Parts: sequence; C-alpha cells; structure tokens
Amino acid sequence: MNKQRSKEYRERIGKALATPKLQDALHKFGDAYLLSREKAYTGLNFEEMRGKISEMKTGVRENHTELLDQFITNAESAGAIIYRAKDADDANRYITELAKRKNASLVVKSKSMVSEEIHLNHALEDAGIDALETDLGEWIIQLAGQKPSHMVMPAIHMFKEEVAELFGKETGKEEPAEIEHLVEVARGQLRQGYFNAEIGITGANVAIAETGGIALVTNEGNARLASTLPKVHVALIGIEKLVPTLDDAARVVQILPKNATGQLLTSYVTWIRGAVPCDGEEKELHYVLLDNGRSELAESKHCQDALNCIRCGACANVCPVYQTVGGHVFGHVYIGAIGIILTAFYHGLDNAAELVKACIGCRSCVSVCPSNIDLEEIILHLRETVGDEEGIGAGKALVFRKVMQNRKLFHSMIRAASLLQKPVTRGERTIRHLPLFFSPLTEWRTLPAVANTPLRDSFDKKVQKIDKPRYRVALFGGCANDFLYPELGLDLIEVMNALDVEVFYPKDQNCCGIPAIYSGDKETALELARQNVIALMDEEPDFVLTTCPTCAMALKQNFVEHLKDLPELSDRAEKLSSITVDAASFVLNELGGAGLFADAADGKKVTYHDSCHLKRGVGVWKEPRQLLETAGFDLVEMAHSDRCCGFGGSYSLTSHPHISKKILEDKVDDIRASEAGCVAMDCPGCMMQIRGGLEKADMPVQARHTIELLAEVLRKKK
Amino acid sequence: MRDQQLIDRFVEVAKGAGAVIEPVESIVAAVEYLAHQVSGTLLLPSFASGERYDIAGALRAAGINVVTEDFRGAADQAEAGLTGVNFAIADTGSLALESTDEDIRLATTLPVKHFVLLDPEKIVADGLEAIKPMRQMHERSPRNYIAYITGPSRTADIERVLTIGVHGPKELYILLIPGLSDDFLEM
Repeated sequence: MNKQRSKEYRERIGKALATPKLQDALHKFGDAYLLSREKAYTGLNFEEMRGKISEMKTGVRENHTELLDQFITNAESAGAIIYRAKDADDANRYITELAKRKNASLVVKSKSMVSEEIHLNHALEDAGIDALETDLGEWIIQLAGQKPSHMVMPAIHMFKEEVAELFGKETGKEEPAEIEHLVEVARGQLRQGYFNAEIGITGANVAIAETGGIALVTNEGNARLASTLPKVHVALIGIEKLVPTLDDAARVVQILPKNATGQLLTSYVTWIRGAVPCDGEEKELHYVLLDNGRSELAESKHCQDALNCIRCGACANVCPVYQTVGGHVFGHVYIGAIGIILTAFYHGLDNAAELVKACIGCRSCVSVCPSNIDLEEIILHLRETVGDEEGIGAGKALVFRKVMQNRKLFHSMIRAASLLQKPVTRGERTIRHLPLFFSPLTEWRTLPAVANTPLRDSFDKKVQKIDKPRYRVALFGGCANDFLYPELGLDLIEVMNALDVEVFYPKDQNCCGIPAIYSGDKETALELARQNVIALMDEEPDFVLTTCPTCAMALKQNFVEHLKDLPELSDRAEKLSSITVDAASFVLNELGGAGLFADAADGKKVTYHDSCHLKRGVGVWKEPRQLLETAGFDLVEMAHSDRCCGFGGSYSLTSHPHISKKILEDKVDDIRASEAGCVAMDCPGCMMQIRGGLEKADMPVQARHTIELLAEVLRKKK
Repeated sequence: MRDQQLIDRFVEVAKGAGAVIEPVESIVAAVEYLAHQVSGTLLLPSFASGERYDIAGALRAAGINVVTEDFRGAADQAEAGLTGVNFAIADTGSLALESTDEDIRLATTLPVKHFVLLDPEKIVADGLEAIKPMRQMHERSPRNYIAYITGPSRTADIERVLTIGVHGPKELYILLIPGLSDDFLEM
C-alpha cells in the first residue's frame, strides 16, 4: 500500500471537509436535481428506457469492429478525415501537428471530457498554441488553473465572488459578483475567439454508424459557434460513443439531458454529418477516434459494462460521498462512480486505488444510471484487483485470512473481547468514550458493546412452543445480530412463534463475507460462502431469514456468484438464494402476518430509514412501512429517507470515518426534522450508526429494528 | 389536420423552455410583428418558404433593415436572425432546422434574437418520431448540419443559477403561421 499516496489523499479529504460552502452547494444541487429529474421523466418509464440503452450499448461493444468500420466508411464518404488515436499522446500529437500545419495560434474548444482526459490543452500550450475554452464552466476553471469537479458542471465548486475575481483579471477592471453580469462578460470576452481561431475542437455525445455523423448535446451555443466559424473542425470522440442508428441516437438524446440536469432537452442538439460549407469553401473536418484504454476495458469481463456510460454525471449527483467531498477528492479527471472505474483504465490503477476505497457502497448511483450499469459491483471488483496488486493491508489480511476463515477462532476472539471490553463499557451496553488513540472512534457516535452472551449461545435457551408449525426456518444472524444485538434475534423468535413459525440457529454459520469483499479479499469471501451454504442447508430449512440486508445480499446474490463453478455447492447455493428472505418481507408476504399486529401500537410517531442494501440491494422498502402502518404507528417520512446513514461497514470505523461522520450528521438532521420519536430500520449496521449518532447528539429519539418494534407491540398486546 | 392537442403541447413545452410563441396567422401579420420587435439589423438567409412569399421584400417594405449577404461580416452586430423551421417536436418544445447552409447557422447563432416561422402542421410528437424526417434529410443530402433548438441559450455553470443567453441567442420567438408549408424537408 502506497503510504504517501494515501496520506495525500487523506489531506485532500480533510481540506474538502473543511469547506462547508462546497458541501452546502453539492447538497442543494443534489436535492434540486432529484426534483427536476423526477419532473423530466413524467409520463415516461425510466426502467424501460434504460433497459433499452443498456441493450443497445452492450450490442455496440459486442459488434464494435463492424460498427466502427461502418462509421468510418460513412464519415469518410461525407468528407471527414479519420484518425484512429491509440492513446493520449497519439491524439495530442495528431492535433498539435494539425494545428502547426495550419499555422494556428488559437484553437477554440467547446466542452469535451475526452480532451480533459488526454490533457489536450497542455499539449497544445507546450506547442505554443493557445487553447481557449468557451464552455462557461470550462473557461472558469481554465482561468483558475483547475480541473473540472463535475462532468456536466465543471465549476460547480466555485462561487460567484471567485468567478468575478477571475473575470476581472481578464477584462482588466473590477467586475461585480453578479451572475447575469458575469455571464454577459463571458459572452463578450469569448466571442472574438470564434472568429480568430483557425481550429474549433468539440467532443461528441454520440457517433452514429448509420450516417457517419455525430451529435452534440449542449446548452450554451458555443459548440455551434466552435463548429461553424473556424475553417477546421476537430471532433474528439471516444470510440465507445458509437451507436448503430439515428433511432439509437435519439434514445440517447432523449435520456441524457433528463438524467444529467433534469432538463427535458438541452437548448441545442447539433447533428453534424460530414464536411459542411464554411465561408465559401468546404470545412476541413477531422474525427479523432480515441482508444486510450477503451479496448482494454472492453476485454474486462467484470468491468466492460462501464463502456455503456453516456456521461450524464448522475452517479455523482446522487452520491453521498461526492456530496460530502466533491469531485476533486472523489475523482481524478472523471468523477463519481463512473470516474473511479474509468480512472483505473484510462489513467492507471495507481490513480484509482484510493478512489476505489472511497465508495461507501450505497448503490444510489446504480439506481439512477441511464445505462443500467452496476457501478458498485464493478468498483468492488476493482477493489479486489487493487487488493491483489497491492495487498489488502496486514491488519485486514490477519483478520480475514487468519482469523475469520476459522470460525471457531473468530468467535472465541469476539467472546474474549466481550470480557476484555469491561474497562471501557463499565458494564453498559454502549461505549461512550474510548481511551487514547481509539477515542476518535467514539468522538461523533457511541458504539455498542460486544454482548455478554451472543445470540448463538442464548438462542436455544429461548423456549419455542408451537404445536403445529407452519414453517421451520433458519435464522442467518450475521455478526451484528449475533454479537452486538442478540436481543434482536430473540425478538425475531417471539414474532415468528406468534405466527406459528419455528426458528433454529445453524451453529456453523460464519460471517457472510461481505466485509471481506468490501476490503478486496475475494479469497476469504469464497471460503465463507462455502462454509455458510453447507451450514445453512444442512437441515433443509423451509426458509432462511435475515435481519441484516447486507447478509441477505450475500446469501441471495454473492454466494451463488462465488460458488457457481463448484458443482457440489452451486445447486445448494441456488436453493439457499431462493429461500432467503428478509424478516419483514417474510412476515408480510409469506405469512400474511400484518394483521397480528394491527392497531397494537399507540399511534406513536415513527419515521423510517431505508437501508441501502435493503432498498437498492434486495429491493425491499414497502414491506416494513406496511407492517408499521398496520401496527398502528403514525408513519411520517423523513427527507432523504433512502440516503445512506454513513455506516458502510469498516468505512465508518477504519477506512473513512470522517466522511462517514458527515453523512451521519445529514441523516441525524433529517431525523430531527421529521419530529418522530423513533426511527425504524431493518439493518443492524444502520442501527449501530444511527443509534450511535443520536446518542452522541443527546437526542431522545429511539433507533429500532422493525422486528424489535413488532416484538414490543406483541408484548404490549399480552 | 394536425391534432390541436399536439400543437397545444408543443406551445406549452416550448414556452416552458423560454421561447416566446406568437400565433400570427399570416405572413403579413408576421412582418408587422417583426417590425415592432426589431429596430436594428435583421439577418435573412435564403429559405424555401421565405423565398416563396418574398419575405425579404415584405420586411424591407415594413422598414426593417434586412441583410441578405456577407453574414460573417454582419452577424455579430445584427440584432436578429429570421429563418423557417423544418419541423418541430412537441414533447420537448423543440425546433429542427436543416442548417447545412452556413448562412442559416450564422443567422441563428450570433444575433441576440432568433425569430422562426413555423407551420403548426409540421409538429411531431417526440424525438423518436422525428427520426423519420431526420433520416429523409440524411438521404436527400450527402452532408448535413441539423440543429435542434429548444428555447434560447442558457447556462447554470455559476452556482447552478439558471441564466438565459450565453453564446447563442438570448431570445427565441416562434411565429406560428398555418398554411406556410407542409413539407418537412423544407424550411
């Protein structure tokens, strides 16, 4: 692990966390964006639309050679000059040599992320050629000497006062920090550039094989001017931008602005095919088709879906980590979830290594991606790659490989911890203050103590008297339920028994393995999958219940994936997946049990926190709400109910506690604003995080698992 | 007869995107409207419906300073540009202009105001339906520069505050003239 790189990265995080103005801007943007996005999709079916885009782009990747040839043939017959650039240096060399041949002293650019990717402006400047950015956001950061912090709004991190100062240096006089005025200044300052420049450089949002043309999706009008006035037009095109037909292009154009900015459509969509008239002659049109790692990405079975990206930036807009630290921290040139992946392939694993670990795994990006890319899964795979290349760290290697894979050793160490912790728990269930260098861990939230008696020990002591059980189910407790909140498991037994279901606890079950995956240790995850499938399926339960959605994801998805090549286990893994269900859904759907709790609660005001892995992992969010409402709770929704709580497993404890703290603060603020006396959720990880934050903030709000609330209601009824 | 609902939808969405919609009903009324709106120079490129009705003559007769040549020289100082529209798209309130002729592009990118003459007969429901005439345009001509225009130019790059009028026009006026043209392939 690169200590210097890690240190520098942490310093960048620290700086970003110390700029509340940035966080405020990104949070406000995130909120406004969600509203306008929802409005833009009125009457449309986003799932259907993105399914079509996904299918189309996957087809493009699979038929890339033919489509590229078709595009080139059609483009050339319309007068375009094609250059296939292998990498950044190759593209920069071609463009600078072209500029020199044309005796160009000035080049005007409209927005192109690919040009940022290859650092084109640097290359031009090194060759003595001025490159003038005309997109307002790009011009602002060019003047400031900065990189973009967002793919669609490059200067989102800057404020009007800073912009006024930058513009003042250009105009030579003091410019008022008034946005309308500043835009007018930009219009005036940049106008002559279009007339003076010998070359106009644009990107391309799509390249259409059917016609050999491109389309540019813009708002400001600068791409129209940059592609019209200068005698030469260079379009820089990533080779993944291909679409087969005009209809496919129309689908991309239909979804892109809605997802990027919440607009129905941008002010301009410019369809350029071939060399068009230019000042009485013919435009000299060059298409620079850039590879720069895209072919390699296409070959990567785990990561290739990333090529389906249409560059909308939504994955950053909804990301709680991005909203906390911005694009200069959670990005390299490309930012956000897709940025992490592209950085690994276009700018090297070293530049992506820290970023790969900064994803909290909340899957908000996956829920809004217009190309239906499972961004989080790809990031986890890259984390594994980084783990393989650089090691996962001595501490984690010890914990995962030496301890956790040996279940008896693992569990006896936790039992030992429950004894050794006495000095800091002082007999209480929560740890309010850890001593010495551990104290940052409890600075901003309390931690639960390890339970004196884990669930696996107390389970059999609980008497279950059911004459004719409807079902016999296994409980997969998961580490938190087992060792931190055993009372949750006992509450589950009560709820199940009341519905005539018998529960047993397979003792050989071990950690679900997700913590290992999140740390890049596939080997341990595989071993744990093996152990758990054997342990859980041994007595052939009717169902396997979970109280933790992360564990549910492991049992329903990961185990099947890990064991699919082991014939003696893959069938059992599939069966396990099909019978695994979260407790709330089991009560409501399978048992039809909502009525048992009807109106038993006293109208207590409760708000609900959607755990990331429950809503965006196993797709459950209605069931707990229905149970709570039927039970007579007064359910009030909080703002951002499905925004991450900041737990993310070891993210909050060891890897990125400072970011986790800020995200928890946002959640506590939302809970406070809901004015509920209790916040319900279906994840012990979230319970740990939210309970800890509420306690530290001295808020009298309870944080409870839905099953705990139902058990309470049952006890009251008796 | 184009569905009135479709026309109404186009008008509603185009207005929402910041365009001014003016139903003028005839060329004469359009010219009168323009005479009130434009005090400076008006760039008038050659386009089929304009030629057919001798728009240049009518505008000059109304006292407007019409420029029909050397757009590269005149465009930056011109107050307005006037063009036709090939067709419009209702669900996004957009106009499609076949702009391969450079004068069309200069007239619609540089002046502060852009006026268009649109026959409400030429409105399609959405961007996917628009591909039919788009494909026809591509088949008819070996090279194309086709512009979709939705409202005036805009940005939110400074503090996400929406500002209208950046590099392109600050104002877009859509004059609805029934009977002007029913041919999607002409402007």
